[in-house]
Amino acid sequence: MFENFLFLSSALLTLAGALGVVFTKNLMHACVLLLATLFGVSGLYAVIGADFLAASQLVVYAGGVIILMLFAVMLTGGTADNDNKFGIEKVAAMGSVKTYIYAGLTVLVMSFTILKILANYMRTFEPGKLAPFESTVEEIGTLLVTDHVLAFEISSILLLGALVGAAAIARPRKG
Amino acid sequence: MVSLSSYLFISFALFISGLAVMIARKNIIAILLGIELILNSAALNFAAYARFVNQNIDGHLMSLFIIVIAAAEAAVGLAIVIRFFQIKETIHIDDATQLQA
Amino acid sequence: MDYTIWNVAPIVLLPFFAFVINAFIVKRFTSLAVLISCGSILGSFFFAAKIFFDFINKFSENYYIHKTFTWFDLSYANMPFKMDMGIYIDNMTATMLFMVTGVAFLIHVFSTYYMKEDKRYGRFFVYLSLFTSAMLALVLSENLISVFIFWELMGFCSYSLIGFYYEKEGAGNASMKAFMTTRVGDVFFLFGIIAIWSVVGSVSFVDIYAAIAAGKFSGLLALGLPLATLAAICVFLGTVGKSAQFPLQVWLPDAMFGPTPCSALIHAATMVAAGVYLSLRCYPLMEVGEITYAISIIGGITAFGAATIALVQTDIKAVLAYSTISQLGYMVLGVGVGSYNAAFMHLITHAVFKACLFLSAGSVIHSLHDHHTHAHVQEMPRMGGLRHKMPYTFLAMLCCTFAIAGIPFFSGFVSKDRILGDALLMATHSKWYWIPTILGFAGAFLTAFYMFRMMFLTFFGEPRDKDLYDHTKKEKISWNRNIPLLILSVFTLGLFYAGSLTGQGFAKVAGERYEWFQTLITKPVVSEFSSRTKQAFSFSSTPSGLNFEKSQYDSSHGLSEKEAHHVHTVHHIGALVSIVIAFSGVFLAAMMYLWRKWNPGFWVNTFSGWYRALQNKYYMDDLYIKVLIQKGLLKLNNVLAFIDMGIYDRYIVDGTAFMNRVFFTVAKTTDDVIVDGSVDLTGKSVKAFNVILRTIQSGKIQVYFIMIILVLTGYIWKLSL
Repeated sequence: MFENFLFLSSALLTLAGALGVVFTKNLMHACVLLLATLFGVSGLYAVIGADFLAASQLVVYAGGVIILMLFAVMLTGGTADNDNKFGIEKVAAMGSVKTYIYAGLTVLVMSFTILKILANYMRTFEPGKLAPFESTVEEIGTLLVTDHVLAFEISSILLLGALVGAAAIARPRKG
Repeated sequence: MVSLSSYLFISFALFISGLAVMIARKNIIAILLGIELILNSAALNFAAYARFVNQNIDGHLMSLFIIVIAAAEAAVGLAIVIRFFQIKETIHIDDATQLQA
Repeated sequence: MDYTIWNVAPIVLLPFFAFVINAFIVKRFTSLAVLISCGSILGSFFFAAKIFFDFINKFSENYYIHKTFTWFDLSYANMPFKMDMGIYIDNMTATMLFMVTGVAFLIHVFSTYYMKEDKRYGRFFVYLSLFTSAMLALVLSENLISVFIFWELMGFCSYSLIGFYYEKEGAGNASMKAFMTTRVGDVFFLFGIIAIWSVVGSVSFVDIYAAIAAGKFSGLLALGLPLATLAAICVFLGTVGKSAQFPLQVWLPDAMFGPTPCSALIHAATMVAAGVYLSLRCYPLMEVGEITYAISIIGGITAFGAATIALVQTDIKAVLAYSTISQLGYMVLGVGVGSYNAAFMHLITHAVFKACLFLSAGSVIHSLHDHHTHAHVQEMPRMGGLRHKMPYTFLAMLCCTFAIAGIPFFSGFVSKDRILGDALLMATHSKWYWIPTILGFAGAFLTAFYMFRMMFLTFFGEPRDKDLYDHTKKEKISWNRNIPLLILSVFTLGLFYAGSLTGQGFAKVAGERYEWFQTLITKPVVSEFSSRTKQAFSFSSTPSGLNFEKSQYDSSHGLSEKEAHHVHTVHHIGALVSIVIAFSGVFLAAMMYLWRKWNPGFWVNTFSGWYRALQNKYYMDDLYIKVLIQKGLLKLNNVLAFIDMGIYDRYIVDGTAFMNRVFFTVAKTTDDVIVDGSVDLTGKSVKAFNVILRTIQSGKIQVYFIMIILVLTGYIWKLSL
């Protein structure tokens, strides 16, 4: 019962947030709606017993990436970039009817394809008996330093590279 | 109600939303938001398959790496956005048609 | 006992790394740079000391280390052209390494006192480090080419240090003069190397010895001379340039423009000795080229002539400079009369006492500060009575003066007397050798005279410049001023070099083991070298074998009893004559300058023509400038300039340019019409095609993205459905 409630509310939050990101006119709102989506996804993780993933999702996305996004929005002048530096009005940055038509067509093609695949797959799928929940943290920790240690190390190097690269790219320069 | 098909549908919805955002928006940061949505849909898929099909936690690890990569991508992407803004004073994607500053 | 490269390489590399590091940090961290320089040379001294003591105590006298690696190999078919680099250490090298590092370290220490207030204090040490590493590398070299490389490197250091005070008038000219004069010798040296290469096919000392033993030089002629003679003359001219021998000695007195410690290190102790070292290394070549008599004549003339010029000098450093030339003349004389061992011994003893003399002179000069002109005083007429002001410097200088003048029991007597004894021995065999012998003995007399003249003028009598004297502080013992002088003056005792005074059992004061010099330094016997094989240059230890017992010193040199008796007699006579003339020289100096019984002015007036000639250094500088440079080189210069501008420039260069212009016009037409036309055609066709593609390549990311999605969808439909 609680599981179903959690799933429903999370799914609703996710889908509503995603739709909001697509259709809002304000970039700041879009960021906040994305945050709602991420919370929803975290709840969905929790429903299927992925406790560590849910926590990581909250910490990394909600705590890190969205804050970063908001900073970037503020540093680049928020939504008020309809004018470029020559004062000429440009296409609305958050999209116009034309771009939405392009997007709708592409999405139509893509979703048609994906749904076709999913339908095929669902017909043959027989869910087995599900295991009871248990904490995944210990197992993830063990796997990270045994079977997946190479990927783990490479991702650490990737993060370091991203850190240094971001600092190097964004540092203010004279002239 | 909590089943693979519902998860796959949510994941599909997230992916489609992300795709729509990436094509419809002209603001670079908004496009980055779309990328985040797509990455989330992929991660959710991994976790769902791990739960309902494989019944182990290798999928969790994959989702974890996706989160890590998303964080790195966001950091670098936003750094590029800020740098781009410093140079061009705009974050309109159609201004970014040339490789040179 | 095994040696690896790590026992040897630090000797050279420590000073070299000190040079590299200091070259970067010297401006900011001057005192650290000085510390690094001194520390590195101390480190290489320890490594050299280990090698030296192993060689004199542990190894047999024939022990050697010879390691090479291939530098480059350009052999083609049956034309061998292969150059090796490497190290060659025998007893002589080991002794030389020990002397050079020891003297260099003491001079480094003294420099921290002498150069302290100089505004280019740090840079001086940078040059010193470079010089020391070059000198050590030269000593370790196993072939003539690497000798030549480091020889030139030392020449450069000498050049920079002579011009160290480049604000001073004449310093720049002096450094240029030194560089150019030694260059004359160096060019001939290079010719010599080429001549040797053409015969031996290698420039390694060992290969040269082996080739001489195999008689490869016999019967070859070049320019109407035997090739061996030609090569020997050329190599010896290198020595003449570097060691300031008779025709090319003019640069060394001018080299005194440099700071006194560098004069001590470069222009007295080590660099100028490198020339003699080269002659000793190439001694078998000199023998087979039969130029030993010429060498002895050159040495005798230099020894005597420089001593006569030193008689009239008033600058304390100039006296020492001429005495250096004179002593180098003795070494060359020793090489010429076949006194291999004694010549090398004189090289070592001279390095010690002459370094000490220069440092003492530096100590005196540094203390005498003229507060009117704010300059240091080095003119002897303004000195006098200084022994009360600086007693420790006085004592050190006195020891060294005893040594150089040939007073018994000091090192100079032992070595110089052996050279003169061997010269006398040669003279009893062949009457032509009387000329260098008598020149040598006369020079010894003059040496005693002018050195004591310098001592009396500087330290004894009444102070002649009262004002200067009163302003001079009394000497206080300081570690970096007096300790180097003390150590060097202790080593002027003859006991360290030989147990007996003549090396032939005469006046024996200690046992056989003090005769290490006689035992260890022997003429290379060329026939021994044919069977030697080179060792590979490796980083692991390679036992070189040959570790048999030391043989006892054989004072008879394998001669028959009658001959040995003759040798002994001659050496005893030589020793006695040496002692007599040394003391008579001292007595004459004392009569003139200490007791003032005889007036030197009388001699000046009587021989005024000679006096002027001596003061003008026998007019040799003028001769070179007027005759050689103005009459010869400038004329040659004009001729060359005419050839260059009138012939080459007008006909060849301009003609080539004209031909080029004609050709160019033809080429341009072809280019414009045919080549460019086809290029344009390609461009135009590409451009036409381009119009289609350009509309797709908009640069808009989202367009690309849509395309990617559509293509992807297409694939999915094709593959999965």
